[in-house]
Amino acid sequence: MAIDVTEQSPDLFPGETATRQHPLSTRTEWARPNVLWAIAGGVVGYLIGHWLGNVIASGYTNVQSSGQNDVANVLGLSFGVVGWMGGIGALNYPLAKMLGREPAPTVPEQSWVRYFRMTEDHKVVGIQYTVGVLLFLFTGGLLAMAIRTELLSPTSHVFGPGTYINIVGEHGTIMMMMASSAVVGPLGNYLVPLMIGSRRMAFPRVEAFSFWIFMAGYAVILTALPLGGFPTGWTGYAPLQTQASGGMDSYLVGFAVIGIGMICAGFNLAATIIHYRAPGMTWNRVPIFVWAILATCALLTLATPTLVVAGLFGILDRTAQTAFFVNEHGGSSFLWENLFWFFGHPEVYIMALPGFGIVMEILPVFTRKPLFAYRTAAAGMLGVALLSFFVWQHHLFQSGINPDMRPLFMLTTELISIPTGFLYLVTLGTLWKAKIRFDPPMLFCLGMLFNFLIGGVTGVFLSDVPVDVTVHGSFFVLAHFHYTIMGGLIFALFAGLYYWLPKITGKTMNRKLSQWHFWTFFIFFNLTFFPLFLVGLLGQPRRVFEYAQNLQPLNDISSVSAFFLGASFFFFIINFIWSVYINPRKAPDNPWHSRGLEWQTATPVPWYNFERIPVVLDDPYHYGERDAPAVADLGQELIAAGRVSSTPVDPDDLSVGGRDDLDPRPPIL
Amino acid sequence: MGDAVADDKTVTERSEDFLHLNETPEEIAFELRAQEGALWTGGRLVIGIWTFAFASLAFAYFYLRSANNQDLWRPHDITAPTAAGAAIFAITVACAVLNLYGVRRFRSGVALDWEVAGWTSVLGTLLAVGLQIWQLTDLPFFPGSSGYASCLIGWAALNIALLLSGLYWIETLLARQARLRRALLEDGGTAQSTLPAARMFRASMEGCAYYWGFIGVVATLFWVLFYVL
Amino acid sequence: MSEGSDIPPAGSQPADGDAEPTETHHWWRLIAVWVVASAILDPLFYVLAGPHIPPGRMTDTAGGAQFDFNVLLAIALPVLLGVWIFMIYAIVIWRASRGGPDPVGGPAARGNTSIQVGWILTTTVIVLFLAGFGTYELVQPGGAGGGQGPSPIWTPTSHTVLPVQVIGQQWKFTYRYPTYGGFETTELVIPDHTTIAFHVTSLDVIHSFWAYQLGVKADANPAQDNVAYTTTAQLGSFTVRCSELCGIWHGAMYNSGRVVSPTAFQAWATATQESLQANTKLLPPFSYTYIPDANGADGGLYPDNVDPYSKIQTYGATPAKPTSKG
Repeated sequence: MAIDVTEQSPDLFPGETATRQHPLSTRTEWARPNVLWAIAGGVVGYLIGHWLGNVIASGYTNVQSSGQNDVANVLGLSFGVVGWMGGIGALNYPLAKMLGREPAPTVPEQSWVRYFRMTEDHKVVGIQYTVGVLLFLFTGGLLAMAIRTELLSPTSHVFGPGTYINIVGEHGTIMMMMASSAVVGPLGNYLVPLMIGSRRMAFPRVEAFSFWIFMAGYAVILTALPLGGFPTGWTGYAPLQTQASGGMDSYLVGFAVIGIGMICAGFNLAATIIHYRAPGMTWNRVPIFVWAILATCALLTLATPTLVVAGLFGILDRTAQTAFFVNEHGGSSFLWENLFWFFGHPEVYIMALPGFGIVMEILPVFTRKPLFAYRTAAAGMLGVALLSFFVWQHHLFQSGINPDMRPLFMLTTELISIPTGFLYLVTLGTLWKAKIRFDPPMLFCLGMLFNFLIGGVTGVFLSDVPVDVTVHGSFFVLAHFHYTIMGGLIFALFAGLYYWLPKITGKTMNRKLSQWHFWTFFIFFNLTFFPLFLVGLLGQPRRVFEYAQNLQPLNDISSVSAFFLGASFFFFIINFIWSVYINPRKAPDNPWHSRGLEWQTATPVPWYNFERIPVVLDDPYHYGERDAPAVADLGQELIAAGRVSSTPVDPDDLSVGGRDDLDPRPPIL
Repeated sequence: MGDAVADDKTVTERSEDFLHLNETPEEIAFELRAQEGALWTGGRLVIGIWTFAFASLAFAYFYLRSANNQDLWRPHDITAPTAAGAAIFAITVACAVLNLYGVRRFRSGVALDWEVAGWTSVLGTLLAVGLQIWQLTDLPFFPGSSGYASCLIGWAALNIALLLSGLYWIETLLARQARLRRALLEDGGTAQSTLPAARMFRASMEGCAYYWGFIGVVATLFWVLFYVL
Repeated sequence: MSEGSDIPPAGSQPADGDAEPTETHHWWRLIAVWVVASAILDPLFYVLAGPHIPPGRMTDTAGGAQFDFNVLLAIALPVLLGVWIFMIYAIVIWRASRGGPDPVGGPAARGNTSIQVGWILTTTVIVLFLAGFGTYELVQPGGAGGGQGPSPIWTPTSHTVLPVQVIGQQWKFTYRYPTYGGFETTELVIPDHTTIAFHVTSLDVIHSFWAYQLGVKADANPAQDNVAYTTTAQLGSFTVRCSELCGIWHGAMYNSGRVVSPTAFQAWATATQESLQANTKLLPPFSYTYIPDANGADGGLYPDNVDPYSKIQTYGATPAKPTSKG
C-alpha cells in the first residue's frame, strides 16, 4: 500500500500537508528498505571492499587476488556489513541527521512485511531476534552433530583434520555468538518495556540496528567456511590466529560485528530500564527478570569493547603486519589471552544471568508463592556482574602468566560462586511449601536448576588450581560449560519461550508435545554431557579427533545421545508450527494466572503496548495473599468514565510516528 | 489532519494541535522526562564504553612494555613523528575546549557562540583525522618492528574512530540547530524554548560536551604514553 | 484447552486448618534424609572411588591433584545431595495435584533473614576454606605441576632437580636434556624419586604439554620458557598429549614417556647422549627459548638499514647469539 508521507519542512504549519507528494512516498513495498535490499547491499559492499583490498595489496603480487589476501577479506567483509546495514535502511536516519533532517513519519505497519524491515517496535525486534537466535542455534547444532559423528571412533575418521577443526571452531563461535544474545535479544527486547510499563524502548533504532548487525555477524561467520575455515576454535589464540589462512578474518570481523551489536543492545536496554519505568515502579518493584537484564547490560556495554579492540588488534596483525601478538617482534601471545578472557569471562555471565532472571521470574507463577529473598537475588546478580571482571585469569592458570596472581584469581573465582549460589537460595526458598504446577515452563525451570547445579559445582572444581592442572583443556571443561550454558541458559530460554509464547503469538502451545520436548531434551542432554566429565578426567583433551581407545564407549554414549538430543529440538519446531499455524487455538489472556505487568495487556499486544501508561502499585510477586493489591492501575476506571481515550492514538492519524519540531510530545530518538 | 491552520496562532497554540492525539499531559511529561534521562544516561554510557576500549589499548601498551619480549618493545627509543603527534593532540584538545566553552556560552543564552565553536571544532577534527591518517604513511618504522609500533597503529585506528564519532555527534547537533533556529524562532530558540525538540536538543548537547571532554582526556593520556614516556 | 487454568488464582481459597507444625516437620525430614545420604555416599565415594581418581599417584603433583579432587568431591557431594533432596521433596510433597493448603504469601514467604544470613555465611565459609586449601595445595608441591612461567615462585625443596626441556612444535613434542649435552629425543624418559623441572617452550604457536599421569600441564608459548615442577614417585609409563589447540593435527600431537629407576635413567641418558652425538651437533645450541631469527630462519624478512623498509635498525643486524637464560 502506498503511504501518503508528507515531508515535514519548517515552512509547514502543523497539520498542514504539503501539496506536493514526497517522491519516496509512492515507492512500492519492495523498494523500501528490507532484507532483500540488505542482501544486495551486502553483496555489493563485499565486492567493492574485496576489490579495494586487492588494490591496496597490489604491491604484493603473491598475495593480491589470492585466497590469502587478508586485506581484501577484511575490507570485503566490513564493506559487506556496511552495505547490508545500508540495504536494511539502518543508515538512513543517521545520514539524514547529518543534514539536520528528522525522519519521515511512518505508520506502524501491521502486515507480515514488518518482520523483514528495520522497525521501531521492540516487539517486532524481539520476534526477529527469536528467529535469528534459533537459526544460530540450529546451525551450530548441526555442526555439533558433525563433531559427535567424528568422535564416534578414535581411529576411523569422517572428516579430514582441517575440516574437523574448522567445524569445531565454527560450532563454538556460532554458539557463543548466539548465546550472548539468546535471552537478551528475543525476550529482553519483547518483554522489558512491557514489564516496566513502557510503551517503547529508549533508543528503538539502536535496538533494531543491533538485531540486523547480529544477522550480519551470522553471515560473516558463515563466510569462514568457504574462505578456508579457522583453526583456532572459538578462543582464537594467537599466534595460531596470525598464522591461519583466510577464514580467520571472518572470525575476527564476525566477532567485532557481533560485539558492536551486543554493545548497542546493552546500551539501549540499560537506558530503557533506568528511565522508562512506569510511574510507581520503584527499584523495589522491578521484576527480577528486568534486574537480570540490567546486570547483563552492565557487562554487555563494558566488557564487549575489549573484545572489539582485541579483534581489531588481530586484524591489524594479519593485515597491517603489526606485532601485537607475536612474541618474536615485541608483541606477546599472552596479550591476546588476557584481552580475550577479560571479555570472555564476563561473556559467560552475559549468558548465565538472563537465564537466572527467567527462572526466578517464572518460578513464583508456578509455585503460587512470592519470590523468596527478592533483594538478595537482585543484589546477587549485580554482585556477579561486578565480580565477573576480576576472575578472568582462571582460564590461564597453566599458561605461564603471572604465577603470583594465581591464588588471587582462585580466590575471586571461588568468591563469585557465592552470589551465583543465591540463585539456589532464592529458588529453593520459593519452592518451600509451594503448590507446584508442572506446566512445561516449570519443567524447564526445574531442569535448568538441576543442570546448572552440576555445571556450577564443576566450575568450583576447575577454579582449584591443582585440579585444574589435570582438567584444563580437557573434556571436563567442555562438559562444565555445556552444563552451564546449554543446561542452564538454553533450558531457561525454552522455559521463557513456552511461558511467554502464548502472550506473543496469542496461541496455546500443545502440552503433550511440550512435555515430550522437555523430557527428551533433559534426558538426552544429561546422557550426552555427563560422560564427557569422565572422558575429560580420563585424559581426553578438547578439540581432538583421536583419543585413547578405552574412551570409545563413553564417547559413543555421548555421540548417540547427542543425535537424539539434536532430534529433540524437532519437538519444539513441530509444536510451534502446529500450534501457531496448522491448528491454532487462541490462548487466554493470562493462561498462567501471572501477576506480571506484561500479562495485563491485551493479547496479542497492541503496538502501543498499554492503553494508558500504567501506574505501578506493587511488585508482581504477591502470590498467596488474599488482599494483595493489583500490580498496577491501568487507567481502566478513567477509560470507563470517558475521562481519557482508550487508545493513545487516533488510528486514522498517519503522522503518529514522525514528530514535528513543534510537537509537544517527545521526538523518537 | 489536512486542514490549513490560521496564521495568527501562537507557537504554543499550534503545538497544542497535536494534543488531539489523546496522550494526557501527565503521560507526555513522563515521556519527556524519560527521554531526557535516556539521553543523559546514554551519553555517559557511551563514555563508559569507550573507556573500556581505550583501557584495553592502555593495557596492551603497558603489558608489552613490561614484557619487552626480545628487547623489542621500543628499540632505540623510537618515537612516532612528534610534530604530527603534537599537532593531533593539540587540535583535539582545542576542539574539546572549544566545545566545552561553546556549551557554557549556550547556557548563558548565546547559541551563536556555540554554533561557531562547534563548526570550528568540526573543521579541527577533520584536520586532526587527516593528520592522523597522514602520520600513518610517514612512519619511520615498520608496523611490526616493535611493540611500540604496533600499539601506535592500534591507537591511530581507535583515535580515528573516536574522533569521527565525536565529529558525527557535534555535526548532527549543529545541523539540527540550523533547522531548529528557524522553527523555534518565536519560542526563544533552542536555548530557551521548553518544547520537547529543544529540551532533547539541550540534553544531547550537554552529553556531547562531556563526550568531547572525554575525548580531550583520552588524547592527552595517549599523547603522554606515546610521545612523552 | 485450559492448561493450568483449573487452578484458581491464589488467595481465593482460605487456607484450611491444616496448621500443624509444618515448618519444623519438613525441616527435620529434609535434614534427616540429607544427613543419612551424605553420611553414606560421601565416605563411600572417598574410600571406593577416591584412590582411583585420575590422574593417579605416579608423582607428587598427580597425587596432590587426586587428593584435591577427592576433598572437593567430599564437599561437593553433600551440596549436590542437599539441593537434589530438597528439589525432589518439593516436587513430591508440594505439588498442586496433591491438594493441600494454598501457600501463604506475606513477609514470611518473601524472605527470612536468618536463613539468608545462614546461607551466605555457610557458602562463604566453604568457599574461603576451598580457596585457602587450594592455595596451600598449590604452593606445597612446588606449583602443583602447573606451568609457572620463566620465573617460578613456588620451587621444590629438593636440592637435585633434573631439568628437561619440552619443545612443542606443529605437531610433535620433543625433549632435550641440557645436563646431558642437550640431545633431543621424541620419547620422554625420566628417573624415579627425582624432582623434574620441565622447561616448556614452543617453536611456533601455543601448545600445551600435558603429561597426564605425571599431573603436569604447562602451556608451550613461543619465545617463552614455562617451568613446571614435579617429583616422581612410581615407575610406569605415561601419556603426553597436547591440550591447547595448535592447528589441524592437534588431535594427533601426542607421544608417551616412561618413569624408570634412577640407575636405568642414568644408563639410558649417557648411552643416548653418546649415540646421538652427531645429531646434537647439528641442532641449534641448547637454549631455553628458540627464536627463528637467532637461527637465521627468518629468511631476511626484516632487513635493517635498507630503504624502504626501515631507516631504523631492527633486530637481526647483530650476529645471532643464543638467548639462553641462566
